[in-house]
Amino acid sequence: MDTPLSTSPERRRFNVADFTERFGLVLVWIVMIAGFGILLPGIFLSWMNFSIMFATQSPGAVLALALIIPLTAGDYDLSVGATLTLSAVTVGVLNAVMGLPLGVAVLAALAGGVAVGLVNAFFIVYVRIPSLVVTLGTTSVITGLVQWMTNSSTIGGISPTLVNMVMRGRLFGISYAFYYVIAIALAIWLVFEFTPLGRRILFVGRGREVARLSGIDVGRVRVGCLVASALLSSIGGLVYAGLLGAADPFSGLNFLLPAFAAAYLGATAIIPGRFNPWGAVISVYFLATGITGLTMMGIPLWVTSVFNGAALILAVTVSQFVRGRQETDIG
Amino acid sequence: MQSTCRITVLALASTFLVPFAAHADPVAEGLARATQIVEEHRAVPTFQAPGESFDIRAVAAGKKMLSIPNTSSNQFLKGIIRREIEVGKEIGLEVREWENQGQPNQWVQGIEYAIANDFDIVDLISGVNPAVIEPQLEAAKAAGVQVFTSHFYDPSQEANPLLAGDLPFSFYGQGWIMGNWAIHKTEGAANVIVVKSDEVPPTEPLVRGIRDAFEQNCPNCTILTEINVGITEWGTKIQPAVQAALLSNPTANYVFPIYDSMSQFVVPAVELTGRGEMVKIATGNGTPFVLDFIREGRVEMDVGESLDWVARATIDGYMRKLAGLEMPEELAVPLYIFDETNIETAGTPAEANKGYGDEYVAGFHENWQLK
Repeated sequence: MDTPLSTSPERRRFNVADFTERFGLVLVWIVMIAGFGILLPGIFLSWMNFSIMFATQSPGAVLALALIIPLTAGDYDLSVGATLTLSAVTVGVLNAVMGLPLGVAVLAALAGGVAVGLVNAFFIVYVRIPSLVVTLGTTSVITGLVQWMTNSSTIGGISPTLVNMVMRGRLFGISYAFYYVIAIALAIWLVFEFTPLGRRILFVGRGREVARLSGIDVGRVRVGCLVASALLSSIGGLVYAGLLGAADPFSGLNFLLPAFAAAYLGATAIIPGRFNPWGAVISVYFLATGITGLTMMGIPLWVTSVFNGAALILAVTVSQFVRGRQETDIG
Repeated sequence: MQSTCRITVLALASTFLVPFAAHADPVAEGLARATQIVEEHRAVPTFQAPGESFDIRAVAAGKKMLSIPNTSSNQFLKGIIRREIEVGKEIGLEVREWENQGQPNQWVQGIEYAIANDFDIVDLISGVNPAVIEPQLEAAKAAGVQVFTSHFYDPSQEANPLLAGDLPFSFYGQGWIMGNWAIHKTEGAANVIVVKSDEVPPTEPLVRGIRDAFEQNCPNCTILTEINVGITEWGTKIQPAVQAALLSNPTANYVFPIYDSMSQFVVPAVELTGRGEMVKIATGNGTPFVLDFIREGRVEMDVGESLDWVARATIDGYMRKLAGLEMPEELAVPLYIFDETNIETAGTPAEANKGYGDEYVAGFHENWQLK
């Protein structure tokens, strides 16, 4: 679809446009950082500010990374926020309430994530119900289960070991949480770009019938992607529980929309037109930078919701104009 | 009520006395007043009868009450209703909860249910805004069902005229104690970041209480910034907003998440910014997991109120109205400070009704003529 057939000068022009498209978001991000740096001298451009931002946004970043896997294969997973919450409260209930060792609680949380992925996959792939409907349903089921498990109460007293492994432990001044995000993004990038599996996922997302006729086991790929998404969401839940030192039964769902925004915004950068991990991670931090800067300037928080939505629409619009308003393969 | 009266008297006294003591050190005097207020609310609360003694069983006999919480997922409200059900058993009042997920159409349905099933009382406990369901309030009134609110308005706020009665709670007092706590602990040099949710009616009087504490008892104390976060966005916005506020206000030494469930997002914000030694967290409500945070040293203070006491005072007020007696002007529930010195009394892990003593139960029984 991007096969260059052009002559050399055209190719050079294309590359300039290509570069702008690929790194436009990064450039806007840098300009934004510089702008806030000027407006908030001595406060915004501090290592402390960025290290905190990198750590705090980790649960949302993990969720955005979880989302791009089924999205690449052509499925929506609306249950990632609920799965994140399920994982966090599983650790809370097993570790803080029932007193089980942290390792057991973590394994149970991850197993819960895999179970959610398998349930989603069964209804989506085997029963052939649209992914939007199934994951909306499982979100509701999980939300109810979480309220039952927690008695609708926040659970405090999670093992300090988890808090140390996520928030208090630092490398170069940044909490470990951020490095988990980078590790996950790196793993997804390697799979997407350098393995036959990554290509198969992409083919399945671009056209299921074509992929099937090419000999790809489409069902298996989709199941794998949905399970991977749920597993990563449960890792996001562990990060969230480690960041708070508590398990909150309600707030995880709020990560859903920002994560979708970051996934779609990320699809306009680095590898435009494709959901990609680095684009998603950059988008999370791009949005967080804007919100942090605006908050530091004392602007009311409702503005941040406007910023989130406007940034997404604007970025996708700019990207579309750079591409000559082509039809995209996404959504 | 007594505690709120005391708060109001002290606030007024402070206002009038300060100008006459211009020659004295206003910082030291304000600090002394703040310390006195803190000490008063550190003492285990004592029961004071909300009104004259009456035979509550005779009034409650055969009566039914439907309690409609703002949402059944709120543990604070759920805890009060659980206690109301138990207190109802003690006095012969049938109490039921109208389970809902916080949607106004479900509250409407609840009132309709109460009318259709001959309930005597509807209890809009702490959060259901009567203004949202006025047609149903009119229908209930016409059907002879008495609809009350409890723990929703501050005494300074006007109750909806369609209600049969109202038991306001001093949210102002909660803010007043939080403000004076910071004055006391910083010796008159508090610089506070307030985290609030303006959409909830108690927020205004609560924040006014903090402001008044600083205005009247601390010339050098300031509210550096007020962060307003919608309830549904607490999980995603409080932490980054508090972090940003802490970084841009290096002189901050207190964060007040005015509702203590906000604390779970404020605690990591303070810890991540590396300001845990300098910036303390003071809050209010007495939610058990936040009391656990006090034991762990992550939150400094929580102004608590006993849910059982709230339940008893609520039923007491409603029954007085049914008996033709005067309803108390306020919900007679004291505010009590939990900090590191008394947190063990709340239990391990903390429980919603522990730490407030149990003298009040006997007090209510005697006032209700229960033998």
